[in-house]
Amino acid sequence: MTDHSKKSDRSADHGAETAVALGKGLDVGTANLAAAVQNDEGGITVTVERNAFLDIPSDVYSKSMLTKLKVPYVVHNGKLVVIGEAAFELANVFGRETRRPMADGLISPNEQDALPMMKMIISKLLGEPRVPGEDCYFCVPAPSLDVDNNVVYHQGLFESLVNKMGYTAHAINEAHAVVFAELAESDFTGIGLSFGGGMANACITYKSIPCLSFSVARGGDWIDKNVAAVLGCPRSKAAHIKERGIDIRDPKSREEEAVAIYYRSLINYVLQNIKARFESGQNMPSFTTPIDIACAGGTSLVGGFIEVFRDEFAKIDFPIPVGRIFRSEEALTAVAKGCLVAAAIGGS
Amino acid sequence: MESVNEIKEALSARSRTATLDELRSEGKKKVRLIRAEQVAAMVVEAVHAAIEQSGLIDPKEAERLVEKSRVEFRSILREREQEAQHAHDVEQKLATSETQLRELGARSQELSAALADTRVQLEAAGAESTRHRDEVIDTRAEVARCRSELEQAHGTIAELQEQVAQVQRTPAPVAAQGPGTDLLMSLVNEMASMKANLMNQQAQERAPAAATAGAEFSAAIDKLSGTLNDRLEKLGKKMGVSAAVDGDAVDFGGMFKDTGKLLESNMENIEVKQKAGGGIAANLARLKKLKGGG
Repeated sequence: MTDHSKKSDRSADHGAETAVALGKGLDVGTANLAAAVQNDEGGITVTVERNAFLDIPSDVYSKSMLTKLKVPYVVHNGKLVVIGEAAFELANVFGRETRRPMADGLISPNEQDALPMMKMIISKLLGEPRVPGEDCYFCVPAPSLDVDNNVVYHQGLFESLVNKMGYTAHAINEAHAVVFAELAESDFTGIGLSFGGGMANACITYKSIPCLSFSVARGGDWIDKNVAAVLGCPRSKAAHIKERGIDIRDPKSREEEAVAIYYRSLINYVLQNIKARFESGQNMPSFTTPIDIACAGGTSLVGGFIEVFRDEFAKIDFPIPVGRIFRSEEALTAVAKGCLVAAAIGGS
Repeated sequence: MESVNEIKEALSARSRTATLDELRSEGKKKVRLIRAEQVAAMVVEAVHAAIEQSGLIDPKEAERLVEKSRVEFRSILREREQEAQHAHDVEQKLATSETQLRELGARSQELSAALADTRVQLEAAGAESTRHRDEVIDTRAEVARCRSELEQAHGTIAELQEQVAQVQRTPAPVAAQGPGTDLLMSLVNEMASMKANLMNQQAQERAPAAATAGAEFSAAIDKLSGTLNDRLEKLGKKMGVSAAVDGDAVDFGGMFKDTGKLLESNMENIEVKQKAGGGIAANLARLKKLKGGG
């Protein structure tokens, strides 16, 4: 059955049950996984879960407690594995590091239990397809400028995973998804930036067509790693400091100061790389009118992010005219939303 | 004469106008009339009589003063008239300037609109130019690749011709062990046809290459490449010397074979946290418009 006929059949087969458009968006992020779907109220519903897990000794009491506390767990290889946000919270309580299925934006080669854990979380977020072979657009990072990474393997792996769940998987560049979600007013012309946990992705588009996309292997985890190193604490503790609602323009303690320093460094690094790519002149588009820059991703959620971004932007002599610089109002879920836009338009 | 006019003005200012009907309604059947000149003469006569009776000024001196006053009055009147005329001229110039200003404003708006249109066109042309440049680069690479394939095809054809010649030279002891005569004839015909096509398409490639657009040239090269590949593949398979074929897309499904087994979990009983987000209708409408569907 072709995609087109599948789309046509859905209304006949499911009637009012599927009055909303089909297609789902999935953000496969290093730190968070998010799925987006259109709801029957004209909006979208997003489900988010931390992409992390933590194994604890398995016993009847622990299982019972976790169930009572509504903490998701799975028994794997004789161990009790706590999944998602609860794993992050437990790790902080016990002073341990969470186990992470992904690192630097890609599936982690060092985590042997990554695939089954991610499959469980993604299954929970996506749910069952509403029709067999429903389109699901998931994001993949662009090749990195600063490390040699294997995006093809990562993409193929998740394509297979999503297909195996009964969907028809389609990959879309992560920052391209940001453009789809945030730059409608600019006719999808501009720069989409996704500041994720493992990477920062950039995509320059002209009327929705990607002209250039790349990534740098620095993100929220890079900040956590460096903050943990200078403060001498676990990374999960550093992440907790970062996410407890600080403002990087006005750090209140030595710990917050460290976070602010590395945030500024990350932003500057990303901007310098975009600038360098524009100045390299290879296959670069030329814009005569100012273009907008949209920032998204969980790492951009910190207070004062966009102001610091503008500060750093003002310091460099950017080679093209830039209009608005803004952060998505739904920064954590913008990529999933962009994937959903791609899914909705992909079959129309 | 001026004094008469002044008298007229004074009389007008101090009298009222009434129609005959109004006078009739007031009960007046007759009215007395007097000319303004007569009133003026009476006033002059009265003034002269008053001056003579006062004995202060000689009548001639009085006449001279009157004449002097008259001259001054005329001079002042002329000045006022000139000022009035000047004011009128300035007013007219101002009106003319305002008209010109309005015209210039309208023209400026037209030029601004034209400038905006030109900017949009330039922007579109810039993007189009970039796209064309990329296409030209891609086309050049494709042409180089096709040329390389052509050279390889020449070599393959020569080898195949040699193999066919060898087959033709070698007698077939057992029909089942070698290709039949029909097959050999078919192969020879196919190679001849392929060679003719190759030469023909090469000629087409060289002659109009400079004149035709990049897209047409690229299409011709693609067609040539496709034809060659198909024929060589067919021929190769018949001869048992087929090149390796492309593998299927890599399926990573096997990586999850261990993940399908049922694990003990409470995931089914845990509700995933959901939150509402802004709709995507506006984004979709814009995208459809860009795609030309809206």
